[in-house]
Amino acid sequence: MPTVAANIRRGRLTPLGWGGLIFGALIMVAPLLWTLLLSLKNNSELVGHSGAALHGPYTFENYVAIFGNSLTTRWLLNSAIVALGQTAGVLILASLAGYAFARLEFPFRRTLFVIVLLGLAVPSQAVILPQHELFAWLHLHNSYPGLILPGLVAPFGVFFMTTYMRGIPRELDEAAMLDGASRWTIFWKVIVPLTIPAQSTLAVFTFLGAWNDYWWPLISATRSDMYTLTVGLAAAQMNYAQTSGLGYLMAQAVFASIPIFIVYIVFQKQIVRAMAGAALQ
Amino acid sequence: MASLQLTGIRKSFGATPVLDDINLTLEQREFIAFLGPSGSGKSTLLRIIAGLESADSGEVWLEGRRIDTLAPGERGIAMVFQHYALYPHMSARENMAFGLKNARVSKDEIDRRIAAAAAVLEITPLLDRKPAEMSGGQRQRVAIGRALVKEPKLFLLDEPLSNLDAALRLRTRVELAQLKQKVDAAVIMVTHDQAEAMTLADRIVVINDCEIQQVGPPMEIYSRPANSFVAQFVGSPAMSLLPATLVEGREFASLKLGDGSVVHTKVPLAGLPGGELRLGLRPEAVRVTDTKGTTKAKVDLVERLGERTLIYAHLAGGQQIIGEDEPYSQVRLGDEVQLAIDGESAHLFGPDGVAFHRADA
Ligand SMILES: Nc1ncnc2c1ncn2[C@@H]1O[C@H](COP(=O)(O)OP(=O)(O)OP(=O)(O)O)[C@@H](O)[C@H]1O
Ligand SMILES: [Mg+2]
Repeated sequence: MPTVAANIRRGRLTPLGWGGLIFGALIMVAPLLWTLLLSLKNNSELVGHSGAALHGPYTFENYVAIFGNSLTTRWLLNSAIVALGQTAGVLILASLAGYAFARLEFPFRRTLFVIVLLGLAVPSQAVILPQHELFAWLHLHNSYPGLILPGLVAPFGVFFMTTYMRGIPRELDEAAMLDGASRWTIFWKVIVPLTIPAQSTLAVFTFLGAWNDYWWPLISATRSDMYTLTVGLAAAQMNYAQTSGLGYLMAQAVFASIPIFIVYIVFQKQIVRAMAGAALQ
Repeated sequence: MASLQLTGIRKSFGATPVLDDINLTLEQREFIAFLGPSGSGKSTLLRIIAGLESADSGEVWLEGRRIDTLAPGERGIAMVFQHYALYPHMSARENMAFGLKNARVSKDEIDRRIAAAAAVLEITPLLDRKPAEMSGGQRQRVAIGRALVKEPKLFLLDEPLSNLDAALRLRTRVELAQLKQKVDAAVIMVTHDQAEAMTLADRIVVINDCEIQQVGPPMEIYSRPANSFVAQFVGSPAMSLLPATLVEGREFASLKLGDGSVVHTKVPLAGLPGGELRLGLRPEAVRVTDTKGTTKAKVDLVERLGERTLIYAHLAGGQQIIGEDEPYSQVRLGDEVQLAIDGESAHLFGPDGVAFHRADA
């Protein structure tokens, strides 16, 4: 008997199946809609009863207030620089390291690879204190390098690119060698173009991770002009935000997630494929 | 001047020797086939010539230049890989241009060479397609085209036809033969298909056990195999090898088989070692007959091929022998048959496998 999943793949679904899916989707989407509606309400109206969000009048005043804070655009810019910087850095480093592990012979290659794998098992929280000390000693706190560099340590990225590149037939490298290509040309013109699916998957996850990161920027950026958006918005919350500033709070949440939303929509295919791949393993 | 010259090539992977003292010289524009069983080191030797593998010792010379010290791309060699190894993200045109761009050939010249090669290989309509959008045979042509445009001094082909279906393999074989007339370079093709080697090659190099067993034109390899390995490896079905003892004779050797019957050969007696020899018989030298007093055998298998029937049988002593009968043979499995052995075309091998040839062959 074909499974539900198989039916979905063939585009065949019973009314009951459709009902189930729609119900599930509604449950997922309800809190998001609720957040959006709350963000569009006047704060004092919500103090009495948050159910007021279900009807008008709606207003953009909370969003205007976000930009009323002169630092918001600065935080947005910081987040963009940090997230894009980390993404670019991880792609470059993970590709180079992956190529080296996949194709080059060098001393201690296996040992180093095992160390990279062990890195997968170390949670970032576990090293945050020494990391803080190190960056203080390097005078890197409150700087872009200080915010970006820790994110470039990406054992998963290295592991991912190594595995992917190992899957590329060596005959291609050999054909390129006979075609007179240098090591760099082989890497750049033959191997890297073939890893684009892996690159985009890694890029999406790195970007999202960097954008959502809260803890390290909270510790490292102590000057408000170096805050990232997540830290800045949290710091700018009014007192009693949960009660008297609910609409503003929700507007912040919506605002901070817009870039993520865009990334999800643009890279939908890669994300679904990566998730499906993870599920199959 | 010789084209390719290999001297004293040795190679082992760890403790396993793969090639042992390989010496070989190719003439200009010669088409050579490396023939040998799986694992005999054919690909390894090809990869050493290409520079993808380095020999433990020995030298490789191409048209008067020592090349084993050069990078693969600097040797003037083009290779067609068994699985084509086309760059999947590039169109056929880009695949063919890649090596030329690396060699800094001018844009006009690249276009000219690609157009010419594409015309010869009839792949002009495919030039803007990627490998994934082509059939196996088309990819094969593009891979050959990628080698052609480089105008190398030597082509290396590693089992170029093994991934094609039977019909396409035959057609491509003919086309390779035609291509060979057009290119001004030597060609080495690795194969374990002897029919391929026999039709295409000017000379065949039979490789086994880390060594070159024999080098020669196809018919010489077939009719004057240097040893029992070549004798059995070339020819289909394989030559039967029967243990035999030398009996008295005057000029030529006569041998007694396990069942007591005697075969008179044309191999000169002089120089033969005494004692146990092996008699080599191609199937066409062994025919089913009605005559009594010939060699008796029991039939294990009857293979009807249409134009002839092959009889697989064993002698009283248990030795396997393969013979022929007419297309509409009445012979059945389990029958006792009489076999007439044509001693004049028989081959003779010493205890160590070395061949002793007929005076006329
Ligand atoms: N990189 C390697 N490391 C270790 N052993 C190898 C390596 N490459 C080849 N060999 C061994 O060397 C021997 C010769 O291999 P080679 O590929 O040259 O054989 P071949 O004649 O091309 O066989 P086939 O007809 O199956 O392609 C084999 O025993 C193989 O296992
Ligand atoms: Mg091989």
